[in-house]
Amino acid sequence: MNGVIAAITLRQLLSRRRTVLLLLLGGLMILVALALRIGAEGANLPRFAAVLLETFGVATLMPLVALLFGTATIGAELEEGTAIYLLAKPVPRWVTLITKLVVAAVCSVALTCIPVLLAGQLAGGGQHGMVLAFTIAAAAGSLIYCAIFVALSLITSRALIFGLGYILIWEGVLAGLFAGTQTFSVRQHTLAIADTLTDAPTAIFSAPLELGTALVVGSAVVVLATSIAIRRLLLIEIAGETP
Amino acid sequence: MTAAEGSVGTAVEVTAASRWYGNVVAVNDVTFRLAGGITGLLGPNGAGKSTILHMIAGFLAPSSGAVTIAGRPTRGHPELYRQVGLVPEHEAVYPFLTGRQFVLANARLQGMTPDQASSATERAIGQVALEAAQDRAIGTYSKGMRQRIKVASALVHDPGVLLLDEPFNGMDPRQRLQMMDLLRRLAAEGRVILFSSHILEEVERLAERVLVIVAGRLAASGDFREIRRLMTDRPHTFTIRSSDDRALAGALMGQPMIAGVSLDDGLLTVRTADFGAFSRAVAGVARRADIRLHELLPTDESLESVFSYLVRR
Repeated sequence: MNGVIAAITLRQLLSRRRTVLLLLLGGLMILVALALRIGAEGANLPRFAAVLLETFGVATLMPLVALLFGTATIGAELEEGTAIYLLAKPVPRWVTLITKLVVAAVCSVALTCIPVLLAGQLAGGGQHGMVLAFTIAAAAGSLIYCAIFVALSLITSRALIFGLGYILIWEGVLAGLFAGTQTFSVRQHTLAIADTLTDAPTAIFSAPLELGTALVVGSAVVVLATSIAIRRLLLIEIAGETP
Repeated sequence: MTAAEGSVGTAVEVTAASRWYGNVVAVNDVTFRLAGGITGLLGPNGAGKSTILHMIAGFLAPSSGAVTIAGRPTRGHPELYRQVGLVPEHEAVYPFLTGRQFVLANARLQGMTPDQASSATERAIGQVALEAAQDRAIGTYSKGMRQRIKVASALVHDPGVLLLDEPFNGMDPRQRLQMMDLLRRLAAEGRVILFSSHILEEVERLAERVLVIVAGRLAASGDFREIRRLMTDRPHTFTIRSSDDRALAGALMGQPMIAGVSLDDGLLTVRTADFGAFSRAVAGVARRADIRLHELLPTDESLESVFSYLVRR
């Protein structure tokens, strides 16, 4: 970790527009939770909470927050041209990359887990330790997503579009279809972690993937994506304005 | 030029370096060595100046040939950045940082302790005379101020090699003079300074040595006076409008410095091999022949034509 790079990255990531957008998304989740709580008085609240945490928290908020922070942490600097000030320094590139990844992950965890915690609590997910389980799982999922999106931003300059496509098509549709593809879904890894941490009955919430598989594959994805990103940053070329 | 006196420690060497992007050749077989003093990289826009600077700075790999600083390739050796200060052409600087914070961050990233970094920052900001604005966010800076804070950030670790891509862009004449003075002082301290420019006068005033780049090739290199002479000795072409073009054509033909005269579609065009003698003589010739000159226009004075002349030479 490099403190100077971390501080600059943090200020850059928490730019007003990006943060407001993500706070609104988190706020929306809390509003939905509130609406559920009021509208569904007496109904099966834990089940509602589980659905909300799964569909809004893990399937929507978590990947979108990580997408915006993960693609921006290095990608935005490359696009704007400020990256050259960080890269023309005697700082090993892997340190630069890990620092940027950690800052993106910290921001993602904050803007995902706080809404998940609040919304889960409001919607009545306090039973069976579900809220805490989802909060911890979402933190792990945010880290995996961030590693993927940081690598993506070093592979393509259209990381935002490709990332969105990946979230919608792979995570949203294909990965859920078969047991084989579930193994490689960050959403399923997250749900597997949440399932392990809660004692909620299957009728309320359960995840198809085993915890072991989720941890092994999830860690492998982080390591692989980070290695690819470091390699890309070592080989990166920055041309002048008139190549 | 002090090439022989320069230390090996910071010598910049570009050896038969080429760089292409797909089918487009940006830099073609360029060789030069810098070991001290100020060198100007002169050429029209798009000639490959930035590509050369970025190759030296390690941000572009040469497609063939070699680029080294102190004998080692810059690319893949980030520890070399301790000796290199880079001022990119790109204007982007973190808008949310103050000038001081930006320079300080650069100093810290160069591995200085907080104390060292703080005094180095003060010195560098003083060198570019931005003390008054150092606590303002860079987002509020003018183009010239932004350029100066970039120079301060490149100077803060006292590098032996300073690479500047179009450093005078956006500066007013006074800031330009100040920056030139600063670069001269830095060079006098034994640094290798390489700056690019597409403006002949900037290079003429500052550089001890010039590398002329045209269409990716090194068209000429060496002492500026020599290149200047090559540029002024080339044939010049003028179009002239006067009260009697035909009579003026006849009178000019008698002058020794005139290489050719033509009258096409009523347009008088004159070619001369000696720009200076022609410009001194033309008014006298017209006056003696009792012809009034309305207009005298050089037809090929664009920088591109000067460069292409150097390439064809």
